[in-house]
Amino acid sequence: MLDDELLSTHLQELRRGTVVLACLLILKQPNYGYALLDLLGRRGFTVDANTLYPLLRRLEKQELLTSDWNTEESRPRKFYRTSDKGVALADTLSRGWDELDTAFRTLKGES
Amino acid sequence: MTTTSTLTDRYVDAILRHLPGRQRPGIEKELRASIADAVDDRLEAGSGPAEAELAALTELGDPARLAAGYADRPLQLIGPALYLDYTRLLATLLTTIVPAVAAVVGLVRGLQGATAPRLIGDPLGAALTAGAHIVLWTTLLFAIIERTAAPRRTPARPWTPAALPEPPSRRARYGELITQTVLLVLFTTLVLLSPAVSTETDAAGDPIGVLSPWLWETGIVYLFIALVIASLGFSFAKYYARWSVPLAVTGSLVLIACAVTLIWLAVNDRVLNPAFVEAAGWPQSVPQWIGTGLVVTSVGTLVHTVAEGIARARRR
Repeated sequence: MLDDELLSTHLQELRRGTVVLACLLILKQPNYGYALLDLLGRRGFTVDANTLYPLLRRLEKQELLTSDWNTEESRPRKFYRTSDKGVALADTLSRGWDELDTAFRTLKGES
Repeated sequence: MTTTSTLTDRYVDAILRHLPGRQRPGIEKELRASIADAVDDRLEAGSGPAEAELAALTELGDPARLAAGYADRPLQLIGPALYLDYTRLLATLLTTIVPAVAAVVGLVRGLQGATAPRLIGDPLGAALTAGAHIVLWTTLLFAIIERTAAPRRTPARPWTPAALPEPPSRRARYGELITQTVLLVLFTTLVLLSPAVSTETDAAGDPIGVLSPWLWETGIVYLFIALVIASLGFSFAKYYARWSVPLAVTGSLVLIACAVTLIWLAVNDRVLNPAFVEAAGWPQSVPQWIGTGLVVTSVGTLVHTVAEGIARARRR
């Protein structure tokens, strides 16, 4: 049997980087931090709040996301949206993911 | 709600304290909104206000870690990009400077005629202090580089196979061996001939040797030559026989004995013949400079022998 710690380390390694792609895809529809955290969790991308919030700011700094303050509601929230550059990166990363998936299928088909 | 809002305030303050001023307003506004959203979510699910706030903050975790994430600050003293350069520099400094410091301090104490405990204790203390300083300042330097160079993400110097330490070729080592033999034979010959062959003569027309007659009276010159020849023998043994720990250690000890003898002679002014210095009309500073030169060369030999021994032992 695999012990839990070993399993979680390897799963974490495997998932690293997928959160960026998931964010870029989901944020084609503008959304704010907490809602995005919730949405990612429900779509099967487990990520911690203390990882996601700094990540959003980093992606914004890299001009992959743009942001706007929405002050229409009682609580002002910062809405992020994937920029054109972000969309282009998401396309490239998606192709990379598909290629990996194909490669894995080939591997498993051969064995 | 007063107690719970205080908790959030304290959490936000703890984060902002670790952030550069210009980032603070934006992050504070966004973070407060995110915490409020998380609390609302838990209130809707039926938690009490205090409980909801506690859970929301617990989920966000250590504020220092979150702040480091916002500021893109490394959570390590020296990262993988610098770690190898750091250990290489540290190893080089420790294996050269620490033995040199110990040797110089031991020398000065020996010169002052210190008692045995000080003769051993002072060089050890100096070596420890030097080592501690080297470790502290090198680590500090690399920790600063890690923090200042990181945002630029400069790629580390690319590694190529050419950087591999090259074991000296057999041919090159043979060249070294030959040079060493020639120099040592020449040196021994000159030393042994020096009482009989000299540029200066005394009143009776007999030559005045350049080296101190005391060396011959005590037989130390023969002991020294024996050590020099023994070290040459070990150089040959290293070249032709398989490397082994006893061989390497004995060879190094002989070299160290040579260097220490030479230092001892130079420090006690037993190398040059005072009569020769006088006859040749050399100023007082010349013998001093020769003595200093011998000490420096000997310390260099000591350091080199120790460093080479360590490097050699590591490769096995």
